[in-house]
This record gives sequence, C-alpha cells and structure tokens, in this order.
Amino acid sequence: MRRDSRRRIEAPARLPVLRWPGGTGSALGGVTGAIYAVFIGLPIVALLARAAAQDDLWGAVTGDLALTALRLSLVTSAISIAVVLAGGTPIAYALARSGHWLARAVDALVELPIVLPPVVAGVAMLMAFGRGGLIGELLRDAGIDLPFTTTAVVFAQIFVAAPFYVRSAKLGFQSVARDYEEVSLTLGMTPLATFRRVTLPLAAPAIITGLGLAWARALSEFGATMMFAGNLMGETQTMPLAIMTAMETSLDSALALSALLLAVSVLALAALTLASRRRWSGRV
Amino acid sequence: MSANSISGNAGPRGCSGWLHCRIGGFDLRLDWDVAPGRTLVLFGPSGAGKTTALRAVAGLLRPIAGRVEIDGQAVYDSAANLWQPAHRRRAGYLTQQYHLFPHLNVAQNVAYGPAAGNGGESRRRIGELLENFELTGLEQRYPWELSGGQQQRVALARALATQPRLLLLDEPFAALDAGLRRTVRQELRRYLSRTGPGRHPAPVIMVTHDREEALALGDEAQVIDRGQVIARGEPVDVLGQPGQAAVARLVGVENLFRMRVQSRHPRDGTMRLSGTGPEAGFTLETPLGETSLRETPPGDGPSLSHSLSGEEEWVTVGIRASDIILSSLEPVGSSARNRIPGTVVRVEPRPPGYTVELDCGVPLRCQVTGASLEEMGIRVGQPLWAVFKASSCFLVHGEGENRA
Repeated sequence: MRRDSRRRIEAPARLPVLRWPGGTGSALGGVTGAIYAVFIGLPIVALLARAAAQDDLWGAVTGDLALTALRLSLVTSAISIAVVLAGGTPIAYALARSGHWLARAVDALVELPIVLPPVVAGVAMLMAFGRGGLIGELLRDAGIDLPFTTTAVVFAQIFVAAPFYVRSAKLGFQSVARDYEEVSLTLGMTPLATFRRVTLPLAAPAIITGLGLAWARALSEFGATMMFAGNLMGETQTMPLAIMTAMETSLDSALALSALLLAVSVLALAALTLASRRRWSGRV
Repeated sequence: MSANSISGNAGPRGCSGWLHCRIGGFDLRLDWDVAPGRTLVLFGPSGAGKTTALRAVAGLLRPIAGRVEIDGQAVYDSAANLWQPAHRRRAGYLTQQYHLFPHLNVAQNVAYGPAAGNGGESRRRIGELLENFELTGLEQRYPWELSGGQQQRVALARALATQPRLLLLDEPFAALDAGLRRTVRQELRRYLSRTGPGRHPAPVIMVTHDREEALALGDEAQVIDRGQVIARGEPVDVLGQPGQAAVARLVGVENLFRMRVQSRHPRDGTMRLSGTGPEAGFTLETPLGETSLRETPPGDGPSLSHSLSGEEEWVTVGIRASDIILSSLEPVGSSARNRIPGTVVRVEPRPPGYTVELDCGVPLRCQVTGASLEEMGIRVGQPLWAVFKASSCFLVHGEGENRA
C-alpha cells in the first residue's frame, strides 16, 4: 500500500538511530551487546587462530578422518532434511490450519524433542528400536537391524531436528491469511495447486529458516547419535563424533575438523539468508 | 470456453438459490434470483451474515441446507447431496481487502487463474483487460506499490480474467478512504455494466453496509439483519424511503417521529399529524397511507376497530435529512406542504456536507452542503425554516421511535 512505499523512502532518514541517541536503556543495551559479541566472537577467533597456527592444517582438513566424517555428516543430514521436509510440511500445514484436539495434542508432542536432552533421546530410541527394545524383536524378525548403523544416525538426526522445522513452517503457514488461499480457489485453482502457487511461496521465508535451523541441528547432532548409533568410522562417525574422537589423540586434528565444520555451517547459513530474502517480506 | 458456447445459444442464466447457514448465535436464511448483468445488493449491519452468504455461494463454506444455481447449473443442492467445491464454481470473489498475491506482480496476478489461460489468445485478452481497467504500464508493479483504487481494479481484473459466471463483491469500497470511494464507485459501475469486456455480463451479488453504495450500484436490494431478510425490492424504495422501522434504523434515516393522526384529507392524498404533550405544536403533513391503520403491532388485531371508533391513531414517520430545505426567511408562496420554524442547536460535519440540527419542538436533522452553510452563515442559535414536501415524509411500520 501507499503507506508502505512511503515508509521505504523514509527509512534512510531513520538510520542515525544506530548512533545510540542516549537513554539509559539503549546505553545498557549497547554495553551488554558489546559484551555478548566478545563472548561469542572470542572463542571462534581463538579456534580459527589455533587451527591456522598448526603446521599441516590443509593435511588435517583433507585427511582421511576428516573427509570420511564430513561426507557421512553431509549425506546423513541431507537425507534427514529431505525426510523432515517431506513429512514435516504436511504436518506443519495441518497444525497451522486445524483447531482439532488431535492437532493440538500433536502440536505439543512436536515440541517435546526440543526440550529433551539429546542423550536422553538416544537412550529412548535405543529402548524403542534397540535389540531388547519395545519393537526391537519385531524389527529383527523383519530383518531390520537399526542400532549402530548409518540409518540410526539418520533416525537420531530426524528425531532432534524435525521439531525445529515443523515449528518454523507452522508459523510460516499461519502467517499466510486464509483469504489468499480462498481467492485462489475461487479463481479456479485446485487446493493442491493453491498450496503450491500461493501458500508455499508466501510461507517460503519461514520454511527456509526452519530448514536451516533443522539442518544445523542435524549436522551438530551428537548425544543421540552417540547413544543410538555409536561411533564407527565411516558408518556412524559424523563430524561432531569425529571431533570428540580426535580430541582424545590429537588437539591439532580436532581443531582442523572444528574449523572445517564451522566453515561449512557459516557457508550454509549465508546461503539460506540469501535464499529466504523476498521483495515482499512483511507485506503478506 | 464453455461461457462462449452458453452465450451462443440461450445466453447466461444468472444466479439463484436459497441458503440456510448457522453463524455463531443465529441462523442465516436467504433466497435470491439475480439476472445476468444485474446487481443484487445485500445490505445490512456488520455481523448480519452478509459475508457468510457470499462465502457460501462461492463454495468456501458449507451451509446446513440450500440450493445454489449458477448459470442454470446447480452447484449446491442439499437435497441431492450435491456440493461443488469453490474451484469448480467459476464464481469470482472480491474480498474486502482484495488479497492480491503479494509475491506476484500486477500482470501475474491478473493472469493467475487457470481459466485465464496462457498462450497468445489469453495474453491478448489479459492485455485488453489491463487496458480496460487502466492498468497499462503497471504490469510490473507489486501490489504494495499500488494505490487502493488500483488494487481494487487489479483484483477485479483478476476475477474477470477467469470469465466468471457470477461475481461476488464483499464491501468493495471498505478498504478505500472516503474521498476515493466516490470516484472508484463510478468506475466500478462502469466496469460492471460491461463485465468481461462486453462479452457476457455476469450477475453480481454485492455486500455492503453503506446506503450510498447500495443505491449507486444496486439494481435490487435485500436488507439483512441478524440472518433474516427483512426487506427486498428496488434499492431506492427499500433504502431511500424504508417502510419498516428496523430497516429505517439500519439505513440510518435521520428523522423518525412517532405521531398522532390529527386529520385526514383523502382528496389531497395527505394527512396531518401532530406531536403530543410538549411537542403538540409540531405538526407534519404526510402522504395519506391507508397503511397507517395497520400501524398498531400485528398482535393487536382489535385495535383497528378502536382507531375507527375515534380512538387515537398513531403512526411513525421518517424524513431523510437530505430531503429538507433550509431557509432563513419564512417561505411564502411555496408548494411545499411542510414549513416548520426552528432554532439551530448543533452543526456537525457529515461528509460530503454538514448536518444541521434544528429545535422545532422536536430535534429535526437536515443535511446541507458546505457552500450553503457558508452562504447562509448558519450558526448555533440562528432561527431557520425547514421546508419539505409531504411526499418526502414516509410512513414506517413496526415499532416506532418515541421522539415526538
């Protein structure tokens, strides 16, 4: 609307706000903000400095341990994210649109893994799908052996990562007014086409943010993987597990792996931020 | 498309049906029959169920019972368990806020519907629509870069691009500011008269709570209050001189008086009414309605004979503020039967003019333009004459408002 376009033009005039124009509140905010920046920044700088200081950083980064773990991490997290996307999107949409008591119950359940310590999640999964687990017998009879396999890594990642995606996507869908979908229907679009051409694009920023969060969570997954999938190089040893293993023998190797994981994460974050930018954001 | 084949033989057949919906605390019951090219106005206060009715016709909401026929084809029939979903009804629906897709530009919005098609033929038609709606040059703009009036035109073009068999408009001016409404209303009238660039004029059902909008755009009107149709007919009759107290209140008739019949003049077709008590001096000459005999509530049948046997007879009479002429001198030699002196007690702006309230024994509200107000130098305390014809007074049925 007109008001919005005026706001865009006015925006540069408001930029001087960045100079902290007095007030106890903003001064306090400035000080704590600076402390926080140091608190976050210092360890990362320290990590990179120590990693760079070692003699053979490139050798460590391209070593067998690092590349095997990185490949496993990327492959498992990609599979996890694909499953989360395919399964989580319909769930998120249903949660966003339905007021049914069942939807509210699922809604509460979806959030549970966020507050559950991952180690506990790992133990719980072992108790469910493990050899002596609740349905372990059933699985074994079917010829499926889950624990301590690459599949278990994916299971653990989905378990801890899915809630971040579902929650974000649900908020994204909720932000799309029903009226847009209804207008699309009256224009002759089927419900599925409406979802694809209106709902999904309008919820895209939240969906991409959710994917980013979930992927970061899957990539950094440690506790549940450790418990449920173990630490077998090339099979279940993802980057975080490799870093912990390396730490026991060589700090340099652990530093190199950490720097590598950091670089991959920052790149992914930057790509996501770019991808989720929309001309029309905030105008739905 | 099928629209062409239909207009080829019998022509479009309009929209008719009846509905029974449940909304919150009450039931909505409605029936209608709109011919192609005609506009039915559903008039009523907010919360009366108007939007629910539109949504039910569009197929966005399922009623308890009913039957909806669009272009001679049943799209909903509770008796036959028939329910066509919204995307198969081809009923264009304009929401209050237009809801242009924010991720699409003007051209993409207009070309959105699948029936808008693609390829050369459809590109030509969409170009024609954009031109008709004076949107040429705005194709690459995004919705938030448009004015309210432009947004409305894009929304309308988007709906018409799918060649709808019916057009549903929900408060099409609510999102516009008062100044813009007048111009845009005239534009819309123009566009509706040649719906789908001169091809097949679709029937239109429009919802509003604004009397002027209803009068300007409606060919017929139904007044809805709490889910019930309480009046229907030509907009001018139903909304201009509403015959029912409930309608008069909804429409906002400024002057409603409950008065006693003093004398009848069947030869002139008029009667003289007077106030009672302290307002006994206030008299009016109004059309003679035999209807006045039915003034007493329907439950009290016997009172009819009472009134004939010399008992007091009461009527409620309404006068629109805009039907009253103000004069600073006593009007002599005028044909107007009502010439009432009073004193100005209040002047309030009421776009596009002002409401002047006179104390004539009873408060009488009159509408004048800013120019008249200035020219006559109207101010509080000034004595003025209110002048209006007997035929400007209309009798209102139902419970009266105790004013005079």
